[in-house]
Amino acid sequence: MAHAAQVGLQDATSPIMEELITFHDHALMIIFLICFLVLYALFLTLTTKLTNTNISDAQEMETVWTILPAIILVLIALPSLRILYMTDEVNDPSLTIKSIGHQWYWTYEYTDYGGLIFSSYMLPPLFLEPGDLRLLDVDNRVVLPIETPIRMMITSQDVLHSWAVPTLGLKTDAIPGRLNQTTFTATRPGVYYGQCSEICGANHSFMPIVLELIPLKIFEMGPVFTL
Amino acid sequence: MLPRAAWSLVLRKGGGGRRGMHSSEARGGGKMSPYTNCYAQRYYPMPEEPFCTELNAEEQALKEKEKGSWTQLTHAEKVALYRLQFNETFAEMNRRSNEWKTVMGCVFFFIGFAALVIWWQRVYVFPPKPITLTDERKAQQLQRMLDMKVNPVQGLASRWDYEKKQWKK
Repeated sequence: MAHAAQVGLQDATSPIMEELITFHDHALMIIFLICFLVLYALFLTLTTKLTNTNISDAQEMETVWTILPAIILVLIALPSLRILYMTDEVNDPSLTIKSIGHQWYWTYEYTDYGGLIFSSYMLPPLFLEPGDLRLLDVDNRVVLPIETPIRMMITSQDVLHSWAVPTLGLKTDAIPGRLNQTTFTATRPGVYYGQCSEICGANHSFMPIVLELIPLKIFEMGPVFTL
Repeated sequence: MLPRAAWSLVLRKGGGGRRGMHSSEARGGGKMSPYTNCYAQRYYPMPEEPFCTELNAEEQALKEKEKGSWTQLTHAEKVALYRLQFNETFAEMNRRSNEWKTVMGCVFFFIGFAALVIWWQRVYVFPPKPITLTDERKAQQLQRMLDMKVNPVQGLASRWDYEKKQWKK
């Protein structure tokens, strides 16, 4: 989860997110470069003593400032496409969880080895224990094992929602009538938070997602199946 | 009288400005800017028509003299010819003005007004704060975040020393 007033990305809990953080740093550096260049040019424009405004035909400069952005865009596109294809790699998930968005809560179905279906509602402020996080904690968390590829099938029962967990680099739209798939592998145990990321009505801000990632041995013992 | 003074204050901006708007008034009617270029701007310093077109006999004689060699002209004559051709010198055209004081005054006034509105809202409009924003609850949440090792790589938990139970120096 993010601490208060956090501006940067959260630390990665999956390999894909690590790649995304590196890509973000790369793209941000290019952005800073361009912004600095433009601000400098603007500063020069505002403080120049030159007054001729009828200059035209600067073909060499025009060529440079067309070719250079094209090169910059290629430098951004190549790592981006690399990560895009990396997310679609075949990794044979061991577990499939279905996540269904409702107004205004999530339902999770563990149907691989039995039938477990439960809803996950945000804890109202009056129900918060000391130390609980307002607007983030839920009554039933999604318990999952670490270091195993997991497939999430996301859909919605009514309007558009989006299932997002930033620290895993996940955001998948929940669209009624459609099954969207996303896969991830978590590297660290812990509790990870996310929030619904597609406007879905009055309580769109109040339907968070909480993943509790535990070691595989403990997951296999079956605590998640004892309600 | 005060609006006229403020208006003339705003008018006299350094560099470009809306002076072109008044050129037709000065010339007693006629075409409006941008079709007249009698007044030079910093970005268009050479207007098409000379500033003075009605010349008395003395000035016409000077104009005739100008058609000859310019080394024959005295300094005073050169200045007179310049003043016939152009309304202002570059120094006069680019002079600074006090407009910025008016602008900054208005900016600060409206910022202050907005601050008063926000203060009124805090007193009369905002609902009570949730219980989780008390210092005790915030400390408990922070302890829980450290127990969960939130962002242990470069974020929060990476700055806490778990052995010594204090923030890392």
